Amino acid sequence: MGSASGVFHTEAVTKTFGSLCAVDSLTVAVAPTEIYGLVGPSGAGKTTLIRMLSGLTEPTGGEARVLGARMPWDRRVVEHRFGYMPQERAVYRDLSVSENLLFFGRIYGMKRRRIAERTGMLLALMRLHGHRRQRADRLSGGEKQRLSLACALLHEPDALLLDEPTIGLDPALRYEFWNHFRDLSERGRTILLSTHYLQEAERCDRVGLIQKGRLVAEGDPETLRQQAAERSGQDELDMEQVFLILTGEGALKEAS
Amino acid sequence: MSGSRISAVAERVLRQLGHDRRVLAFMLILPAIAMLLFGYSFSGDITDVRVAFIDEDGTDLTVSILEHLREDDAFDVTVLETVDDPEQLLLKAGYQAVIRIPDKFTSLYYAHFAMGVATSAQGTIDLTLDESDPQIAATVKMGLADAAMDLGEGGPIEIDTRELYGVEVRFIDSFAPAIMGLVVALISTVLTLLSIVREKVDGTFSRIWVSPVRRTEFIVGYVIAFGLIALVQSLVVLTIGKTVFDIVINGSIAWAFACVILFAVGSVGLGTLLSSLAQTESQAIIFFPLVILPSVLLSGMMWPIQAIPRLLRPLSYVVPLTYSNRLLRAVMVKGLAPWQEPVGFAGVLIFVVLTILLASTVLRQSSGERE
Repeated sequence: MGSASGVFHTEAVTKTFGSLCAVDSLTVAVAPTEIYGLVGPSGAGKTTLIRMLSGLTEPTGGEARVLGARMPWDRRVVEHRFGYMPQERAVYRDLSVSENLLFFGRIYGMKRRRIAERTGMLLALMRLHGHRRQRADRLSGGEKQRLSLACALLHEPDALLLDEPTIGLDPALRYEFWNHFRDLSERGRTILLSTHYLQEAERCDRVGLIQKGRLVAEGDPETLRQQAAERSGQDELDMEQVFLILTGEGALKEAS
Repeated sequence: MSGSRISAVAERVLRQLGHDRRVLAFMLILPAIAMLLFGYSFSGDITDVRVAFIDEDGTDLTVSILEHLREDDAFDVTVLETVDDPEQLLLKAGYQAVIRIPDKFTSLYYAHFAMGVATSAQGTIDLTLDESDPQIAATVKMGLADAAMDLGEGGPIEIDTRELYGVEVRFIDSFAPAIMGLVVALISTVLTLLSIVREKVDGTFSRIWVSPVRRTEFIVGYVIAFGLIALVQSLVVLTIGKTVFDIVINGSIAWAFACVILFAVGSVGLGTLLSSLAQTESQAIIFFPLVILPSVLLSGMMWPIQAIPRLLRPLSYVVPLTYSNRLLRAVMVKGLAPWQEPVGFAGVLIFVVLTILLASTVLRQSSGERE
C-alpha cells in the first residue's frame, strides 16, 4: 500500500537540464486504484516526471515518492511493486515474444512456472497468443506496444507508470488499451500514465494538465470541464476545448 | 535513371552523416590513423632483443664478439658473470636469448689452423634461444652468425643451439595463441558494445534499471555469456590449429582456457566502457576499427613488438592484446603457468580490473543509479 499522501506522490518536484526547466515545482498525488492522466503537449515535462518517479532521473529539487519510497534513493524498497513502460517500445527485438517475457519475469525473481502461467494469461489478454514464438522485430507496431505493456504487467505490480502507452496506436487498439487500464484499476492497481491524446483524458479518474513543466489544472474530467465552462462561458466542451481554455491556444496547437 | 533523384539520395546520405559529428570526425580521422599505423607499425627491423651474454673465456676475440653484438641495434645485450641454467634466464628473467662463450673457446678457434694444418678442433658458442617468437629467434641466429663471421682468421665457429621447447617453433605455433586472443577480444568487445548501445536505443536499458537488476549483476551476466562464447571460440581455434596445422601446444590447455576467459572478461568491460561514448549503433560501429587496427598491428601478433619503431612502441603497451599474446604464448608455447609470465599476467589482470571498475561506473552514470 502507498503512503497516506498517494501511491505516486511528488512534492514541488523540479528538474532542470542546464538552463532548461523541464519540470517546475510540480506537486501531484495519485490515490490507490486511481487512473491518473498526465496530459500535455510534447515537451511539457510528462516523461521527465515519470522518469523521476521511476527512479531513473534524480530530481533537482523537491521530492518524488512511489508507494512511500523516496526516488531514486529508496527505489530498492519498492522496485518489485511497480511496473514501468517507457515511451519507446522497449522490448528485445531479437528475442521472441515469450523470450522477452521470460527475461523480464526472471529479472523480477519470478519462478519459471509462474512466468509461464502469467505469460499465457497476458498473451491471451493482449491477443498475442498466436505470436508467442515470433521475434519482436517481426511484430506490428501495435503488437509491440501490447508486448511492452505485458512486460510491465508480468510481475503483478501494485502500481504502474506508463509513458505514452497508446502512442502510435489506431483508435480501436487505444480503446482496447483503455479497457485494460480500467480492468487493472478495478483489480486494485494504481496507474499514472501520460498521453498527448486529449480525448484520452476523458477516461482517466483524474487528469493533470501540464504545460512547460507546470501543472496548470488538475481534477476529474467533469470538474475540469466545469472550470473551463466557467472561465469561457461556453457549454458542452470537449477535452480539446477544455485544454485550450485552461492552458492557452498555443499549447493546444502544439498538442494536436 | 534520373540524375536528380540519384543526387537527392547521395545528398541525403551525406547530410545524414554530416549531422552526426562523431561519425563525421571518425570518418576523417580513421583513414589517417589506419595509414599511420600501417605505415609505421612494422619497420622491417627488429631491435632491442634482450640477450644475456656470458663470456667464460674473456679474451680479445670474445670481447670483439660482444662488441659486435652491442653495435647491432637488434640486440639489447646484458653481460652476466656466470650462468647455471640458461633456460631459467629465458623463462623467468625475460631474456630472449642466452649466449655463452665457454672457456678455451679462443684457443680452440685458433687451433683449427694451428701450424697451417686444419684440425677438427673448433670453437663452439652455446646459444639458448626462446623460439616462442620465430622471427626473434631468426634475428638472434642471424646476428650471432654475423658477429662470428667478422672475426677474421681462424677456424669455423660452431653455434650450438638448444631448442628450448623440444621442437622447432614455427610461425603458426606462436600465431595460434594470438588468434585466440584476437577473436575473443573482437567478439566480446564489439558484441558487448553493440548490445548495450542497442539497449539504450530501444529503451530496454531504462526498463532494466527500474527493475531489481544491479549493475554488477548486469556486467556479470554479460561476462558469463561472453566467457562461454570465448571458450567455444578457443576450442574451435585449437581444434583447427591442432588437426589442420599441427600446432605445438607445450602447456596446459586448461590454463590457456582460463587465460582466454580472463581476457574475455576484460573485453566485456572494454565494450561496456566504449558503449558510454556511443548513443547510436552507427556511432558504435565506428569504434570497431579502433579496436581491430591497434590489436592486429601493435600487439606483437603479426610481428614482434621489437619490430615496431621505438617511437610507436609505447602504444603497444596500451593495447590489451599485447599482454594476452605474451600470456597465451607463455602458457601454450613455453608451457609455463600464467604467473610465470608476470608481465603478461599482470597486464591482463590490470586490464580486467580497470575495465570492469570503469564499466561499473559508466553503467551507474547511464542508469542514474545511486547507492
